[in-house]
Amino acid sequence: MTKDELYVLAEDWFEKQNWKPFAFQRRTWKAFLQGKNGLLNAPTGSGKTYALWFPIVLNYIKEHPDYKTKHTKGLKAIWITPLRALSQEIKQAAERVADDLGTGWSVGIRTGDTSTGERAKQKRNMPDLLITTPESLQLLLATKGYPKIFGQCTAVIVDEWHELLGTKRGVQTELGLSRLKSITDNLRIWGISATIGNLDQARQVLLGPDSMALVNSVLIKANLKREIKIKSIIPNEMETFPWRGHLGLRLLDTTIPIITKSKTTLLFTNTRSQCEIWFQKILEKHPELAGEIAMHHGSINKETRQWVEQAIRNESLKAVVCTSSLDLGVDFAPVETVVQIGGTKGISRFLQRAGRSGHRPGAKSVIYFLPTHALELVEASALQQAVKKMAVEDRIPYLNCFDVLIQYLTTLAVSDGFFPDRIHDEIKGTFCFQAINRDQWQWILNFLVMGSQSLHSYDEFKKVEVGDDGLFKVNHRGIAMRHRFQIGTIVGDANLTVRYQKGGYIGTIEEYFISKLKAGDVFTFAGRNLEFIRIKQMQVLVRNSNKKSTKVPAWMGGRMSFSTQMSDLLRNELYSASMPIKKQSLEIRSLKPIFDKQREESIVPKPDQFLIETFTTNDGYHHVFYPFEGRAVHEAMGSLLSYRISLLSPITFSLAFNDYGFELLSDQELDIGDILDNNLFTTDHMSDDLQKSLNSTEMAKRKFRDIAVISGLVFTGYPEKGIKMKHLQSSSELFFNVFKDYEADNLLYQQAFTETFEHQLEEGRLRLALERINGQKVVWKHCSQPTPFAFPLITDRLREKLSSEKLAERIKRMTAKLLKK
Amino acid sequence: MTQHVQIHDNNFTLHPTGSLFWKERSSLLISDVHLGKVSHFRKFGAAVPLKALQANFDLMDSAIAYFCPKRIIYLGDLFHAHINNEWHHFESWVERTPLEMILVTGNHDVISPLKYEALGIRSYHELIIDKFLLTHKPENRKGYFNFCGHIHPNVKIKGIGKQSLRLPCFFKHQDQMILPAFGEFTGSHSLKPKKQDEVFALADGLVIKI
Repeated sequence: MTKDELYVLAEDWFEKQNWKPFAFQRRTWKAFLQGKNGLLNAPTGSGKTYALWFPIVLNYIKEHPDYKTKHTKGLKAIWITPLRALSQEIKQAAERVADDLGTGWSVGIRTGDTSTGERAKQKRNMPDLLITTPESLQLLLATKGYPKIFGQCTAVIVDEWHELLGTKRGVQTELGLSRLKSITDNLRIWGISATIGNLDQARQVLLGPDSMALVNSVLIKANLKREIKIKSIIPNEMETFPWRGHLGLRLLDTTIPIITKSKTTLLFTNTRSQCEIWFQKILEKHPELAGEIAMHHGSINKETRQWVEQAIRNESLKAVVCTSSLDLGVDFAPVETVVQIGGTKGISRFLQRAGRSGHRPGAKSVIYFLPTHALELVEASALQQAVKKMAVEDRIPYLNCFDVLIQYLTTLAVSDGFFPDRIHDEIKGTFCFQAINRDQWQWILNFLVMGSQSLHSYDEFKKVEVGDDGLFKVNHRGIAMRHRFQIGTIVGDANLTVRYQKGGYIGTIEEYFISKLKAGDVFTFAGRNLEFIRIKQMQVLVRNSNKKSTKVPAWMGGRMSFSTQMSDLLRNELYSASMPIKKQSLEIRSLKPIFDKQREESIVPKPDQFLIETFTTNDGYHHVFYPFEGRAVHEAMGSLLSYRISLLSPITFSLAFNDYGFELLSDQELDIGDILDNNLFTTDHMSDDLQKSLNSTEMAKRKFRDIAVISGLVFTGYPEKGIKMKHLQSSSELFFNVFKDYEADNLLYQQAFTETFEHQLEEGRLRLALERINGQKVVWKHCSQPTPFAFPLITDRLREKLSSEKLAERIKRMTAKLLKK
Repeated sequence: MTQHVQIHDNNFTLHPTGSLFWKERSSLLISDVHLGKVSHFRKFGAAVPLKALQANFDLMDSAIAYFCPKRIIYLGDLFHAHINNEWHHFESWVERTPLEMILVTGNHDVISPLKYEALGIRSYHELIIDKFLLTHKPENRKGYFNFCGHIHPNVKIKGIGKQSLRLPCFFKHQDQMILPAFGEFTGSHSLKPKKQDEVFALADGLVIKI
């Protein structure tokens, strides 16, 4: 069949659906059939699946003219998706095309949800298209004889690549691809990404920075523009609107008219607990909505989630309270309106959510922003600007992720074993490990084989063994089995499954929450009131209860920080508070009572001002600094500054950070004049000081927890029998401490610091921020009580510590205080 | 650096290593060393630095050098698991340490007493010396003062400015003294002192009464 004939097949199919292919779809088909790799930049719900699925099928048809009568067995294509929730949707779309074109192809899903029976069946007889997650792909690489499974594969599609880029799952994907490239002949690799700032880099990471694959690749942009309308919900009485908070229930009633007016509304919350609470409260206050609203988050069981998704499509629901679980994928035409409760911290996430609405032709995306506390309106105002300026963030890819590499090499050693030279060349071609040197590589091999850098007598270390032929292989069955359980790079709090005592799965819940419950306690979960009975083998047994409950599970989740772009916009919005009313946005205008209150004892800073506030409470002496640079920069700056102050004289700090500033709390009063005289905001020796300050805080230690798990130092336990998080935490801490004392050059230990440095603290941004501050005029206000700006900070309970005092000194003062009480 | 307590007219010194010296009996009490833990981890593929293994022996040497005791009494959990190669290190350490050694066995001590006997170490479930009862797990017996381990106690103290510290400690009830875990590679468990309890925290090479 000629190319043109192939295109006719595709065009005909579209016509039958009464659709017309977009230009970007046609371009993708063409590039794929020319044998190119690439990155497709297209938003969710734009038909991106058809852009890549069609050419895969057409390519097969081209090479197998008798495709209708003779089906060639074996895996042809892999579709990698970050969220298993998306796999069903992709499967349906793919099956439809495959069936309509009469290929006789089968489509299979292999994720954490897939049963062992189904997996075994797949292993014997692979489907033509396999939809899977990065973790499940690694698990396939841990299977004996895996090169045979993949041998006939001609395409790998990495869907929602922007979600993986900048995470360790992305590194895992890079490594998996590096192997697939070697064991297949004609592999095309394609990524699909929403718009991010560094699309070119995203393509590089996907295909390998210096690879032939990159040379032979294209970037295709869909360029579909959709109008987005943001409406902030402004509280009627700003005077009494809370200064801090994250739930936003105060404004619950304002959402009811929005829900009733629109066909279907999605209410996005930032955490699962917030989602649970909102769902409960809406029903409590508006029982008439019962049956018309539902809830959707990642901890609810699969069946319920799928039921909700189906109900949205059927238009049988007025509203769904949800979390990021509905961010991606699934295209819901009936959704007309989206409400975002609380800030999203990033522009792309906000846009993504806005884009869930208005999928009907010609429709606008409408998103309401519901603030949970006063200052969040500044964020809303900044988001308006972001949309106007079409600003987007970068996703920064990881470099030298040794923990993921160690996991990957163990995976290869578990299945068929590996020869180091060959694998070295493969991983050296990935973005993440492009700069790995021979010493580091040798270190990792030694680590795997000897558990250290030199051979010791009396040592029984056992993991990877080297055969006579130089093959690195895991021979110990127990080690192989434990490794398979541990494949994956996302480390969260340990999850327990929640079940009725009589049977029936409800969902999963974090151990942290359950550990606080006693038998008989009632808590709200999955929209039900449940009585806690007991924990049995990592299962939480419950029964229904009629009692009212006040306890709602807290999902810790990651604390996100504003991106650079967002921080800039945010600062500008804040500065506009000092400008004539005409130049202010609606949100900023509405904040006047808060700004007035702030100005009573302090100021709302102007562009050339750097604000410092000090005041005293029962907690001690508060020193609050406002760079307005986003949480990450504040973490870095707070550590740096407290470290530098602690060099002047022995002192102990408790530190808190948010997106507006940071607080140094101490039992001693600081002389701000002293800090300014000593030029403590200088960029001189910044890296060095920051590095040293890391040794004094817990940040690197916390990062190490993930590294210890991913690299297999700490075993998270067999499913249903996992070790408790408390144990995991303490054993990774033990490891951190012994490395510190006895093996400070350990690459994994070092990685904890580089990761904190590059990914959490963002050193580069810190330098720019300090330079900016040095050009500003310091305004130091000593206040009699906390200001509206300071309030959210000083009430934050998640804190960092830093001390330069002798323990004995601190104990003496603490006990002196104890005795006084 | 150390702290002294007197119980039933006997004198005891608390050392920053977490060991406790009984002057009248010239005995050094050590609890929960958990030898073999490092090798145990390594055997299962977790690469704990081998140097950590030596640390426990160095610490014991330093306590012995400080007190010059006639005997060491281990209050249980001397070895973490089944015999592994760390036993060889222990053997050679015992050989060059000419002291009487006694083991009060704990829940982790699964190695056969015969093995210990071969090294000249006698093992007991409990030990009664005068009015003192030495056990692994805490026990209250009328008329006796109990020395024990097992708990790996630590204490949490708080100060203003949202400060808090968690430190391993000797924990003394009315008729009981719980020793901290001596071992380097061990965790600990928080205890809340009541009014009549006395707590001695280990901090930066000092024993500090709280």
